[in-house]
Amino acid sequence: MITGEQKPIDEIREMIAPYKRILVLGCASCVAECAAGGEKETAMLASTLRMAAKMKGEDVLIEEKTLDRQCVRDFVILLDDIIEKYDAVLSLGCGAGVQAVAEMFTEVPIIPAINTEFLGETRDQGYWVESCLGCGDCMLHHFGGICPVARCSKQLLNGPCGGSMDGRCEINPDVKCAWHLIVDRLTKFGALDRLENIYPPKDWSRKQGGGPRKIVREDQQK
Amino acid sequence: MNNSSKLKRVLEGGGFAVTAECGPPRGANSDVVLKKAEMLRNNVDAVNVTDNQTAIVRMSSIAACSLLKTAGLDPVLQMVVRDRNRIALQSDILGASALGIRNVLCLSGDHHIFGNQPQAMGVFDLDSIQFVQVVRTMRDEGKILGGDDLSQPPDLFIGAAANPFADPFDFRVIRLAKKIRAGADFIQTQCIYNLDRFERWMGMAGDRGLTDKAYILGGVTPLKSPGMAKYMKNKVSGMDIPDEIIKRMEGVPKYKQREEGINICVETIRRLREVPGIKGVHIMAIEWEEVVGEIVERAGLLPRPVFD
Amino acid sequence: MTSEQKRTLALYYCQNVPASGERERQDLEEKYGRGIRLFTVPCSGRLEPIHLLLALEEFADVVFIITCPEGVCRYSEGNKRAKKRVEKTRAIIASIGLEVERIGMIIGSKENPISLADHARAAMERTLKLPPSPVHN
Repeated sequence: MITGEQKPIDEIREMIAPYKRILVLGCASCVAECAAGGEKETAMLASTLRMAAKMKGEDVLIEEKTLDRQCVRDFVILLDDIIEKYDAVLSLGCGAGVQAVAEMFTEVPIIPAINTEFLGETRDQGYWVESCLGCGDCMLHHFGGICPVARCSKQLLNGPCGGSMDGRCEINPDVKCAWHLIVDRLTKFGALDRLENIYPPKDWSRKQGGGPRKIVREDQQK
Repeated sequence: MNNSSKLKRVLEGGGFAVTAECGPPRGANSDVVLKKAEMLRNNVDAVNVTDNQTAIVRMSSIAACSLLKTAGLDPVLQMVVRDRNRIALQSDILGASALGIRNVLCLSGDHHIFGNQPQAMGVFDLDSIQFVQVVRTMRDEGKILGGDDLSQPPDLFIGAAANPFADPFDFRVIRLAKKIRAGADFIQTQCIYNLDRFERWMGMAGDRGLTDKAYILGGVTPLKSPGMAKYMKNKVSGMDIPDEIIKRMEGVPKYKQREEGINICVETIRRLREVPGIKGVHIMAIEWEEVVGEIVERAGLLPRPVFD
Repeated sequence: MTSEQKRTLALYYCQNVPASGERERQDLEEKYGRGIRLFTVPCSGRLEPIHLLLALEEFADVVFIITCPEGVCRYSEGNKRAKKRVEKTRAIIASIGLEVERIGMIIGSKENPISLADHARAAMERTLKLPPSPVHN
């Protein structure tokens, strides 16, 4: 899932200050799972902004709506009937959602209400961790299902570095050393000798070789 | 003047090598580098120049190495993969060789979050082992990554670092083996205070035949105070300082603490000389270069060999 | 009391609070009139920040939550969760300059069970100490 966190309310208020009729637009997919921009959070933000406006005596219209997926045009098109009512959209979608709306409705300013963070997993209730960089060339089978590119602070393919102690990363004792986890896991599988290989430099052209990436699948097209 | 690595000649000649460390200034003043050069001249075989260590912006390592070289010393260019991608790293390797620098130490680098530019983009395009391999291929095969030929290969004695004290312990020797297989000619270790653990690690390295495949130099750092010892123990990752060392530093009056730090350092070097497979010592006297001569002398390592 | 009528208290209470049946509820509504709005919840852990925010936005000067005593929640952790949600909601209203005292919480005591009517009196007293909400004025 794509995770995110809401921006501070002051920053959001500053961004929407020029506008009088604002649609607060949530997304019921990834950002709902990480409790940043789902229906609930969208309602909370809209209510908070309305209260703040009332307290300051500002005459603004703030309404809310949540799309099933803000990054899919089939859902974004549902705004077609209502968007004219507003002079700005405050989106709680991830960066992809914000841009999908912007792409479709070029007349209306789209403002991001959340900071998109990472591709991650829900480790526990209220606890999300980064686990994938979307490098375009998955190597997880080499490393016991633990990604050193996403989870090692130095992205080592031939780790661990000399800084880990007691299984903790040198940058922060709250961070588990990905390489310690990899070594432990491969030891359990009896596959530690795999790490005697020198893994060659990663092919980053798969991630950033041709500008923004796209996937084209004719079998999926109409 | 012979333009080959003095460090390499000492080691290949079977000598016990001595290297020291020179941290470039946080400014453009070459005189700081040259002053440190004078403190180290004739006391050591080669001088490592750190590369923005602890991720603090300093004069570039290549520039400071060049200053040392011009002053007649044999510099060891430390290069970290934190700040440069593979294009810049390979380019700097060629430039360093062209400037007459003959030793390189390939490192990951301290994470930038610790330094004075925590907002920087960490590069880490290559890791230190891949970097060693790249430099070795450039030198021995005259090729860069991707296979393009060089018009002239760099002439460099290639080093890597090893930390016998980080975790997981059993894996440390595997990683050493990888660095040597990647092409490291010499290894400089993290500062040694826990000699028992170090000897165990060297034993494991010897069992794998690694001590015959690369020259291993033991790292030492003289302590200035018990506070420094505690700081290193608690705040510097991958550092193992036994409590006896701290107690020993605390056990002497304040005005004698520096002397005690030097004593411990000299004793460590003397014991390291007895460890099978150790080929030299790397003295990292942090912003205390003036003490290196005394340590080397008291450890019985003077005079240093002279080549014409 | 005119001052009471100028404030509205939204009171959310766990259905396990003593003496909180339908009759006691009607008595309270009679006593405080428009000064109180009562909401019974099966468990205080089911309350979400949005409930508290909407009450503050739409009509309430103050919101109170009365939970069952700690350790006796029939859903085991409901009142603990309610506490975290209250803290989150307080942080939100603080971010727009609303006093955090506008969200109150009373955790029932196992040893000294207190009736809904007594809780309501205590909550109303604290409500009247605050000025009318700037959201409605």
